[in-house]
Amino acid sequence: MLVIGRKKGESLLIGDDVEITIVKIENGSVKIAINAPREISILRSELYKEVTEENQRAMVFDASAIEKLKK
Amino acid sequence: MELVTKYHGVREYNDEDVIVFKKGLPGFEELKNYIIFPLENNEVFSILHSIEAKEVGLILVSPFSTLADYEFKIPDNDIKELQIAKPEEVLVLTTVTLSSNIENMTTNLKAPIIINIKQKLGEQLILDTEKYKIKQPLFNKSNN
Repeated sequence: MLVIGRKKGESLLIGDDVEITIVKIENGSVKIAINAPREISILRSELYKEVTEENQRAMVFDASAIEKLKK
Repeated sequence: MELVTKYHGVREYNDEDVIVFKKGLPGFEELKNYIIFPLENNEVFSILHSIEAKEVGLILVSPFSTLADYEFKIPDNDIKELQIAKPEEVLVLTTVTLSSNIENMTTNLKAPIIINIKQKLGEQLILDTEKYKIKQPLFNKSNN
């Protein structure tokens, strides 16, 4: 993993067409601006993780729960 | 062909029934090929089952049964990826988390599964919006 230090207003490039700029730094949180082609999806990691966990829960098949729904 | 599943019996399917999720699903990125069939005894629900892992079957429901005015925009890039030509080709389903208590059953409106039923291509979108919840109660209490 590469770790780079950046100051407010500075940016970095990933590949040819992704640019990340540090817009604001305040109280332990940073605001980041991302310039990237539309086909690159950008998601907060925890959202992807939450969906992963929910998908795993959707696998749990409880026949008795289904029985209840039939009523 | 036969698919022997862990929880949903033995399923017959043909090659043309197989729905390809090129990116897999979050949590099952390595599983790309699925079939879909109605849940036995309760056809409101469907099972999206991996043909590569006998224990992986997700329970799905139509989100519109929970929220009639559910809506989202499919990004252009996904329309292209899924080769969607017409809205009628798109099937939208959301995952269901069962519970022994009916009131605790939820559906994930934040991550709809979209399937091009004509081309048999699917993808799970993640909507970056506060409007829809990962745990939306399946049954609207105010309607009961």
